Amino acid sequence: MSNANVNELGSSSLQRPQVRPLTRMMIVASIALIGVGAAPFFMDAYSVNVLVRSMIYAAIALSVDILWGYLGVLTFGQSAFFAVGAYATALVFTYGGFSAEYAFAALLIGIAVAVALAGLVAFLAFWHGASALYASVITLVLPIIVTQLLFSGGTYTGSSSGLTGFDTIPLSSEAWFWAVGVWLVVLTTVAWMYTRSDAGRLLTAIRENEQRCKYLGLNTSNIKAVIFLICAAIGAIAGWMYANYTMVVAPEIAGFTFGTELLIWVALGGRGTLFGPVIGTIIIDYASAHLQGDFPFVWKLAIGIVFVSVIVALPRGILPLVSNAANWLRGRIGIAQPQQYSQLQLRQASRSGRNIIGVESRGPALVVSGVEKRFGSLEVLSGIDFEATYGEIVSLVGPNGAGKTTLMTCIADGSKRSGGTISIAGHDIAHRPPEECVRLGVGRKFQMANVFDSLTVGECLQIARARLDPLSKWQKSGVCNLPPSAMHVVRATGLHSDLNVPAQVLSHGKKQALELAMVLALEPKVVLLDEPTAGLTKAERTLIGTILTELARTEQLCILLVEHDLDFVREISSRVIVLHQGRIVLNGSVDEVVNSELVKSVYAGSGH
Amino acid sequence: MVPVLLDLITTAAILYIVSSGLLLVFGVMKLINFAHGGLMTLGGYAAVIATAMGLNPWIGIPLAAIFGGIVGLGMERVVVRSLYNRPLDAILATWGLSIIIGQIITLVFDRGVHFAEPPIRGVISVLGEPYSTYRLILTALALLLGLGLTAALRGTSLGLSTRAVIMNEDLARGLGINSGLVRSITFTLGSGLAAVAGALITPLSSVDPNMGVAWLISAFMLVLVSGSSLFSLAVASVVLGGAQVVVSNYFGSVLGGMTIAVLAAVILRIRPQGFSYE
Repeated sequence: MSNANVNELGSSSLQRPQVRPLTRMMIVASIALIGVGAAPFFMDAYSVNVLVRSMIYAAIALSVDILWGYLGVLTFGQSAFFAVGAYATALVFTYGGFSAEYAFAALLIGIAVAVALAGLVAFLAFWHGASALYASVITLVLPIIVTQLLFSGGTYTGSSSGLTGFDTIPLSSEAWFWAVGVWLVVLTTVAWMYTRSDAGRLLTAIRENEQRCKYLGLNTSNIKAVIFLICAAIGAIAGWMYANYTMVVAPEIAGFTFGTELLIWVALGGRGTLFGPVIGTIIIDYASAHLQGDFPFVWKLAIGIVFVSVIVALPRGILPLVSNAANWLRGRIGIAQPQQYSQLQLRQASRSGRNIIGVESRGPALVVSGVEKRFGSLEVLSGIDFEATYGEIVSLVGPNGAGKTTLMTCIADGSKRSGGTISIAGHDIAHRPPEECVRLGVGRKFQMANVFDSLTVGECLQIARARLDPLSKWQKSGVCNLPPSAMHVVRATGLHSDLNVPAQVLSHGKKQALELAMVLALEPKVVLLDEPTAGLTKAERTLIGTILTELARTEQLCILLVEHDLDFVREISSRVIVLHQGRIVLNGSVDEVVNSELVKSVYAGSGH
Repeated sequence: MVPVLLDLITTAAILYIVSSGLLLVFGVMKLINFAHGGLMTLGGYAAVIATAMGLNPWIGIPLAAIFGGIVGLGMERVVVRSLYNRPLDAILATWGLSIIIGQIITLVFDRGVHFAEPPIRGVISVLGEPYSTYRLILTALALLLGLGLTAALRGTSLGLSTRAVIMNEDLARGLGINSGLVRSITFTLGSGLAAVAGALITPLSSVDPNMGVAWLISAFMLVLVSGSSLFSLAVASVVLGGAQVVVSNYFGSVLGGMTIAVLAAVILRIRPQGFSYE
């Protein structure tokens, strides 16, 4: 490897920005805490009372924002977990009486039940192949069931009038204000640190392109489930506070209507911003309490109109509008700070033991035998048999509709083929989903450049490495370890100077190169490339060709390539497989294929 | 046994009437109209207005169709049109529209329960058992609605365009079909149907500003398991509506109230295309 002695890339020598975001957040959090401490001394009792409730709501709105704004799971059911926490508390106090131990037990019971319920929901909602709409449907069914269960509890749960008149933690309104306020500030700070950490960026990656995440070896269903469980626990804690503070619970807090109200607050504040939903919820709920008495229906009508307008015209909510205005103002009065990108360093990964081809496993890298694929009565692939070894570049050619991409899909996702077996480095892929096929050593690059548009190039690479290098959950590590092959692609294509650029502004050629680097970052043994040179210039094509031949030789990769450009195929392939109408019609050396009459007739469209 | 069987059939029919407008919009536009409940409420109040004006109760139904159609057309023009590429946002925006409809109704009338004169009272004898005449009429109407919509989709040129848009919108547009117009008409028709359904159920349900919400969830679930086929919707209405009647009868109305939602969620988990046979 020509760059083996270069183990650091990127602009580590640049000076750090003057106020680091973490420091700035700590300053903001401290000011917020001081505000929480001082506020009750300057407000009337009614406002203090209302604001405690508003801040409890803000905490659940925060959990909705993490699910919807970051992870992309539109949930109608967060109210159900809130109700679980609240009812657990009310039931314990009603039937057990109040004591400090019971208060603690109620909190634990509420969290445990909410998490168990969330586990059930996650099992139903997040599975390989579930659509975003289906997950939303499940979260919509949840509050309906919980509400019905509360009704069916009869006098035990108070049915439609709920429970009231139980003793709770004896704290004054001011003390509740401080307790809830501190909790909200801490929760928001932790959520902020998490969502901007490397692991937090993964949530955005899943929202943007879950399929790509799966083909990077990440079990997105599990990640979603874990976040969902954590958010359920936050909801239950908020419910516990609510029951303790208001001393009354009613079935409405479990309902679909409250669940959508949370979404309205988050949408108005600004989804995916954390601060927007928190501030938005507090303002809206506080204003509701003051205005609802005088203009109850007009107020709700106004909220409805603003909500619809925001969804249509300002999908990112109101907070981004405010911060944009602030930036503009700052620019006008001349204290603008240059846009700060956190700097990222690329490092050479020490070879991770898991993917090294051991001497003992020297067999063929890829064995495909008897593979079939049918859609109903339509046979797309039949009787596909071939092998490929390490260090080989095998090109799959054939006219459109020959089944090339389908064959790639069958190799990268065990659940897709209708018959036959496929093994990677001696392991049968059986019916494994894509993320487990990656574990066996498959890396797949799609036909259309498939990257995370709103993440930077560096973040895309970090996500690609997430399976092998666990991501930091509380900070931006600023480091990405890449194996030599991926590093080579990044350097050769000039991507290392674009590390802090959002992937969506890259040229088509660089996007293709980035996806190739991401696939190589997985340290695969078998690389599937679907038209890696489509739409590239001649120079870019030659560069990719050189890189691929080098990789096959030095890294002993087995590369399977779908290509239409026969000149390119001739230059880089060690072997060519011709597919026609779902069958292999020829499997031989480049010369054999190029001189074959059969191939000419197939491409001319007449042959069988 | 006979009353349960009749309940089963008539409940399925009512669910079919309530869901068909939502299905039409989902089939053509691939988006969920959460204002469906609000539009049903609007239709319910059309029946209330007809009663208040001393008109024949049947007049309430075309009145509801007009109200729903006009409001639906306006919503499509102003709001829904810009959300075709954001299906989850469309759910939220139409829910917001539903809130707006509900609040305007509350401002005009009040929060209380209103009363609409039923078009027909009384019972007739079916196999020796007295049964509500009105519910039987609704069953006949559901059949007519299903046949009428199917005939309209199969037999008219607009229906042909609509089916083309359902199958492949890009191709349909390429062939010169004005898919924007098809969407507009579909949304208007779907909204009109929602309001008609709202007017038709007034004798069975109380009329208040939130009457549509409970129906919305059932209709939503039925549409999800039916895909975009009117026939699948009929099957789904019979199976899920029937299950609801049976569960309500033997296990109480609380479990009955969540039967449709739970069954639909389970069916979609096992078979994502639900009752549609494609």
